[in-house]
Amino acid sequence: MMQPTNPPKLPWTFLKWFCKSEYLPDVEGDLLQYYDRRVGVLGSRKANWLFVKDVLLLFRPGMIRSIIEYQKLRIMDLLLHSFKVSFRNFKKYRSSFLINLLGLSTGLACVLFIFLWVQDELAVDQFHTKGDRLYQLLENVDQDGGVITRATTAGPTSLGLMEDFPEIERAVSTTWNSSNALFIGDKSITADGLYAHDGFFHLFDWGEVQGNLDQLLSEPNNIVISDQLAKSLFGEENPIGQTVELEGEESFQVSGVFNGLPEASTIQFEFVIPFSKFWNDNEWSQNWYNTAFSTYILFKEGADVVAFNKKVYEYIREKTEGRANHRSPFATSFGDRYLNGKYENGVQAGGRIEYVQLFSAIAVFILLIACINFMNLSTARASRRLKEIGVKKTVGAARRSLIIQFLSESLLLMGISMLVALLLVWLLLPQFNLITEKTLALAFTTELVAGVLIILLGAGLLAGSYPAFYLSKFKPVAVLKGTLSTSTGETWARAGLVTLQFTLSIVLIVSVIVVFQQIQFTQNKNLGYEKDNILIMDVKGGLADSLKYSTFLSEVSQVPNVVAASGANHDMTGHNGGSSGISWPGKDPNDRTEFERMFCKQGFIEMMEMELVDGRSFKEDFMATDWDKIIFNEAAIAFIGMEDPIGKKVILFGNEVEIIGVVKDFHFDSFHEEVKPAFLYLEDDYTWYIMAKLAAGREKETIIAIEELHQQMNPGFELDYRFLDEDYQELYEAENRVSVLSGYFATIAVIISCLGLFGLASFSLERRSKEIGIRKVLGSSELSLSKKLIFDLTKMVFIAVLIGLPVSYLIADSWLQSFVFRISLEIWFFAAAGLITLAIALITVGFQAIKAARLNPVQFLKDE
Amino acid sequence: MSDYKIGEFEEIVMYTVGILHGNAYGVTIKDEIESRLKRKVSVGALQVTLRRLEHKGLLSSDHGDTEDSRRGRPKLFFSLTAYGKNVLVSIRDNRNQLWDALPQVIIDLK
Repeated sequence: MMQPTNPPKLPWTFLKWFCKSEYLPDVEGDLLQYYDRRVGVLGSRKANWLFVKDVLLLFRPGMIRSIIEYQKLRIMDLLLHSFKVSFRNFKKYRSSFLINLLGLSTGLACVLFIFLWVQDELAVDQFHTKGDRLYQLLENVDQDGGVITRATTAGPTSLGLMEDFPEIERAVSTTWNSSNALFIGDKSITADGLYAHDGFFHLFDWGEVQGNLDQLLSEPNNIVISDQLAKSLFGEENPIGQTVELEGEESFQVSGVFNGLPEASTIQFEFVIPFSKFWNDNEWSQNWYNTAFSTYILFKEGADVVAFNKKVYEYIREKTEGRANHRSPFATSFGDRYLNGKYENGVQAGGRIEYVQLFSAIAVFILLIACINFMNLSTARASRRLKEIGVKKTVGAARRSLIIQFLSESLLLMGISMLVALLLVWLLLPQFNLITEKTLALAFTTELVAGVLIILLGAGLLAGSYPAFYLSKFKPVAVLKGTLSTSTGETWARAGLVTLQFTLSIVLIVSVIVVFQQIQFTQNKNLGYEKDNILIMDVKGGLADSLKYSTFLSEVSQVPNVVAASGANHDMTGHNGGSSGISWPGKDPNDRTEFERMFCKQGFIEMMEMELVDGRSFKEDFMATDWDKIIFNEAAIAFIGMEDPIGKKVILFGNEVEIIGVVKDFHFDSFHEEVKPAFLYLEDDYTWYIMAKLAAGREKETIIAIEELHQQMNPGFELDYRFLDEDYQELYEAENRVSVLSGYFATIAVIISCLGLFGLASFSLERRSKEIGIRKVLGSSELSLSKKLIFDLTKMVFIAVLIGLPVSYLIADSWLQSFVFRISLEIWFFAAAGLITLAIALITVGFQAIKAARLNPVQFLKDE
Repeated sequence: MSDYKIGEFEEIVMYTVGILHGNAYGVTIKDEIESRLKRKVSVGALQVTLRRLEHKGLLSSDHGDTEDSRRGRPKLFFSLTAYGKNVLVSIRDNRNQLWDALPQVIIDLK
């Protein structure tokens, strides 16, 4: 029989589209019957035309379907059906469902954690309503060793800028935070606060403010306090207009209360005092040379910041009369400071944004690994489901509806996993907050819901796409006859995906090892001094007096279990203060390099166990006349270029001083930095910190004894103390967190990869059961069979190791470049990562392979 | 029944369905009308009319078997309902009554 010609497609499709579904078969039947008859009588051309005419005449109200009824029926039915089939499949193949669920939900939980963290990081300092016009003035300081960027500016900067730059709406300067005791009568509360210009509450949104916004900080004796501080100071009384005493000396009148300073602010404080107060009390803050203050600028709408930066560069030169040309100020967006706070040689060079990017990349990695599991298991399982697809296609299922079925299956699984993941996140969030030191909460904000939906849809479609398009492609006849064989391409794709998974895992493992080693290195490296058991105490209140200070210091050194005590103006962690006021014969007059300034008391070098490479230390005898002596570190001597320095003289702040010793370089800054030149000089007044070395193991009672002593000698003030090694660890906080977190994430990535491998191995062993049986019947030994199976199943992991190690080498190497003092990449890092991965993979498949090899072949071969 | 109004084409379709008793579906109805009354009938007009009459209860429909000549689509057979027949009778009675009322002069007109 001849194949009948078909009517033109377009009008036919049109008819199917508009015609009421219950009329369609009959109408179609009529039209086709006419059509076939006409083709025979009139020829197909004429018949086609008449068909078009008929269809067009059918397009009339009585025939056209209703839009709503049609869609409701189809989509809902399709989805319901898909879900039903999906659930049946989950139940039927429980193990692969569980593997998928476990892998996806842990993966998604990681992604959610990272999402919350990244979102929190991105929100920092973003809550100020005028944020787009809010800038901070930074200064590039030209030093001999290169340019460093500082956030400190001179005292008169903000007022000067406001006066001379019309594009500025307002500018304020603030001091650093300091902790002070606030008194009401005899009651005192220690709080953290800063000095700021009037306008501080205009530029920034520090929550809700009570009080006259224009006069919050207009008088030098005003104080603005937080609502919590107000509550603890005044209880339920109205705080406005009340008087408090700062450090029990000067009284301030409360002019305003702010309420709810957001946690997402880098500037945190409990009270604010007018900057004019600081200005009046500290003469040194009134000139353009001493830089110590943060300056914030609110530009007018549409101001040209690039042009401003050019002008302000000249402006500072003018104001300092060319005597501070090493300082080049520039304004940068305040909101960007938190994430992009790192400068190298005066150029913006990332910052915390790198961690945000790193963790986003890890999130994508993990999600990818989990999705690959799903893809691999679904396609591998395809052979079991081929009959279902064949039958569906035979009874008329379109490819499209099969695709929809598979996609909805993956979306459903993803949805269930997401619920489990949300539960996991909810349970583990307190732990996560401990590690990250954040206060993240699982609140269903628009962003979170949107994020969850995007992840859900994205991952669902990604994971579902391959099985959906791949499985729906099969020809039903081939499927049902069983002539369909797995193509090599498919096997390759699956092996490739597994390789990708393990490559990612290896990169993560190596990164974790390298980060961990580097952190260990920085924490155990000989710093050039002994940081353990050194207690640092702040000097404040009555102790800030030469006589009382020395009494307290000598009393402290008498406390049992105090090995030694001394004082310094340097806390040994980070840059504290520099001086360019040192000169020596032959110094370049333009050189403004700052030497780290360490004013200390006798016995400091000995207590810190710094090593002297030359000369002697300051004499411990308090009567000794070492006041005109100086000690340098090796870096300083090398910088000066002095040979045989002992006994030579240099000029310090205009006075001639004699070099009596050289100490071995010690680290007072982060390992990201070279050791900079530093000098030690005796302080004849009190120092900012008192340090005491405590006997190991007796810290607790010693601190209590020192606290009692402090109570007696400095009533009304609490002893603020901390340990040097804790401070030191804080220098590497960011790296520490990254190392801990990435450790967890890498472990999870490996576990998820192995879950996938496990699923795939058990599946492929099941499929190869006949092969195994025949091999055994023909005499293959269990041992050789197990070896063969294990090798077949783990060779993808071998390849992954080969690819992953060079890649991770490159990544680790580039990360380490950011440290001046760094570990070298050792072979065992990579060997360990490779071996760990291989070992886990072997264990994962080994048991299954051996089990399969040991089974009785009759079991495999008896049926069929 | 006299208050029931149906159109001229509807009346023709109902007659045809009656004539084709047991074999009345889209194609045969169209062919029958075209050959008996020498007028063109579009599939659209016919289908809409059939459905309307069915909806009014004048016709009923029933699926037949699928057939090769219709490429697997079933035939939808129509038949007159009792109500439909009554409407036809009532229309004819009304016409007859009017016809009978015509004076002989008019009938004799040539």
